[in-house]
Amino acid sequence: MLFNSIEFGIFLPIVFAIYWLISNEKITHQNAFLILVSYFFYGWWDWRFLSLIAFSSSVDFWIGLQLSKTQDQNRRKFFLWLSILVNLGFLGFFKYFNFFAQSFSDAFTLLGQNIEPIRLKIILPVGISFYTFQTLSYTIDVYKKKLEPTQDIFAFFAFVSFFPQLVAGPIERASNLLPQFLAKRNFNYHQAVDGLRQILWGLFKKMVIADNCAEYANHIFNNSPEHSGSTILLAAAAFAFQIYGDFSGYSDIAIGTSRLFGFNLKRNFAFPYFSRDMAEFWRRWHISLSTWFRDYLYIPLGGSQGGTSMKIRNTFIIFLVSGFWHGANWTFIAWGALNAIYFLPLFLFGKNRNHLEIVAKGKKLPSFYEFHQMLFTFSLAVLAWVFFRAENLDHALECFSKIFSTSLFNSPWYDGNTKIMLGLILFFVVIEWMGREGEYAIERIFLSWKKYIRWSFYAFLIFTIGMFMSTEESPFIYFQF
Amino acid sequence: MKKEIIHFTKNAFWFSVFALAFYIVAICLLGEILPSKWTKNLIYNSGGAGHSLNRFEEVKNVKNVDILFLGSSHTYRGFDNRVFYNNDLTSFNLGSLAQTPIQTEVLLNRYLNQLNPTITIYEVYPIAFTIDGIESSMDLISNDQNDFASLKMATNYNHIKIYNSLIFSSYRQFFFQKHKKQGEIIIGNDRYIPGGFVEKIKSNFKPKSSKTQELVFKKKQLATFQKNIESLEKSGTKVYLVQAPITSDYYNSFSNLSEFDSLINSYGEYSNFNKMIELTDSLHFFDAHHLNQKGVEIFNKKLLEVIPFKKE
Repeated sequence: MLFNSIEFGIFLPIVFAIYWLISNEKITHQNAFLILVSYFFYGWWDWRFLSLIAFSSSVDFWIGLQLSKTQDQNRRKFFLWLSILVNLGFLGFFKYFNFFAQSFSDAFTLLGQNIEPIRLKIILPVGISFYTFQTLSYTIDVYKKKLEPTQDIFAFFAFVSFFPQLVAGPIERASNLLPQFLAKRNFNYHQAVDGLRQILWGLFKKMVIADNCAEYANHIFNNSPEHSGSTILLAAAAFAFQIYGDFSGYSDIAIGTSRLFGFNLKRNFAFPYFSRDMAEFWRRWHISLSTWFRDYLYIPLGGSQGGTSMKIRNTFIIFLVSGFWHGANWTFIAWGALNAIYFLPLFLFGKNRNHLEIVAKGKKLPSFYEFHQMLFTFSLAVLAWVFFRAENLDHALECFSKIFSTSLFNSPWYDGNTKIMLGLILFFVVIEWMGREGEYAIERIFLSWKKYIRWSFYAFLIFTIGMFMSTEESPFIYFQF
Repeated sequence: MKKEIIHFTKNAFWFSVFALAFYIVAICLLGEILPSKWTKNLIYNSGGAGHSLNRFEEVKNVKNVDILFLGSSHTYRGFDNRVFYNNDLTSFNLGSLAQTPIQTEVLLNRYLNQLNPTITIYEVYPIAFTIDGIESSMDLISNDQNDFASLKMATNYNHIKIYNSLIFSSYRQFFFQKHKKQGEIIIGNDRYIPGGFVEKIKSNFKPKSSKTQELVFKKKQLATFQKNIESLEKSGTKVYLVQAPITSDYYNSFSNLSEFDSLINSYGEYSNFNKMIELTDSLHFFDAHHLNQKGVEIFNKKLLEVIPFKKE
């Protein structure tokens, strides 16, 4: 079930009403109800994979209990590795089997031996990369004794399958979300209203910004040989807004929906395109994934301790794995590598933590210098997105060869809809800039103004969605990860 | 907590009412002041291509015809009322832009009783059975009087462009009792002929080769087609299903036309004129699938021979 579908528009109010009707009942009832509706939500896409979620949840719940029963380090390690193997085993099989089979075959071909790769018809279960990491965080934290294992099976199953963030995150830590399933939730008017506001902004980002940008980006990238460097660069910029609107829009809807049910999820995006360098960009982009890799991969690898070569190795590992997490394609690995190259100089010269606060805090406009820093960082991100969007490495290199040719100075291709897209992006950037000190852009905008002005603004956003939403079918990009 | 939930529900309800009113007012306002290129999801093609506005204005004053023509643009560009008039037959051409069975159903509900035809020529263009008919719905909404059937059609499609068109068109109808534009007799290279036919004044067509395509029919369109035939027959009109000629190159680009022919045959008396007359792509068409005036005359002459129009 997609967040931007009629089905979800019917599903959400019904579930919301029933959920709060049983709010005076036991927490177990609320959690059982959440499991039921979450499985229904997921099963709407493909019920067969519900067994996978149920199996993952059962294994990790059981492992959590076993870890609590034993102090023997070897046994504890065994259970931890069992959890890692089961979870990453599923992920590896469903997501990477064909990629590795093809890559081995290609490697043998390079050595002069032709081997026909084994290819399986595998459907990638939606959200597997997200819930796998979420359950893994539980067993790792329990193993490290950072978290007490739960005895409440309903709470645990609800934590793994919680429908707002099940298929595309944010990837929640057990330490943040699980305790919320163990405590009684009370309806809070302001939290619920804030949730609706965030859902509205998420829908605007997805349906207006992302989907309109997708029309242009898809048209150009699918016919890249026919277009000039300037057009491909404009398409890459459109893709930058597409992926941001798509993914952060999804996160906003997920966080907002959770708030309707009395849960607080972690922030996943913090205005990344207003970053002044790539280190800041990575602190603001897909925060739940970056911090997951930081805590469960980068720090265990030694983090920033050790010599320069160790730092370089760890930085590359983290960015390459992050790229590979996005998909079984060399383009994602190249995207990760390019971001590592962007990040390393800042890291090695100790400038990676220069910009911890949002740009121009408390001011209306950025300084000239800050503006250029943002523009430069955005340009680097746009170039990296070319790898992310391209079909394969050859396609990416073809796009780069055009971007870095004299055709960069030609007038880019555009039509009537391109002008509309640019106008919408401008409006979007202005609102994001105005609201950059909040959790999300419209959190505080017009909040102190009279009700009818505030309502008019929200109604205007709804009108903009109706007037400019793309009518081409366009699922969320991150579903495929 | 209960109080808070009630307060939230009340506010959510009133905001929904406010947002709906805001939406309707904004659609009407922007539809009036903005050029259509800036209103992406508001398609209001009143008085535009296909002369639908003229046709729907005229049909309101027509009663009891010998022949009713139904179907896509092949209908209003393929059946010349003058040819039939010269043969002592009154007719009305109720074809419209990319008309699919779903739009035909709406038109039959509106005009069948009043037109009361003896014979109905239902033109069957294979593509009309493969598409949703969104474009055609908007054409209908923008050019005809809207009623409950329009709303039913919009909710059936559940498409934002159709809802927006319906809001704007209904507002024009309610406040101005007319559409934004007036129907003109000549638009570009097209002349509207009373009775619903559109004549191509000049034509110059250079045939191009078409890519092979497979027709995938929509169940909903086929089911509505069946319903339309049933309601036509119930009204006492004799129904003839006709496939109008298209260029041979385009015709041969469909890989499963025989399947289409046998499918349509199962619904009633069917004639495929692509197999019955010899036309030359460059001489008798103005594009890949529309006849020019020369082609129309040959086609209509043959139609008069094949279909028993003459009154007993």
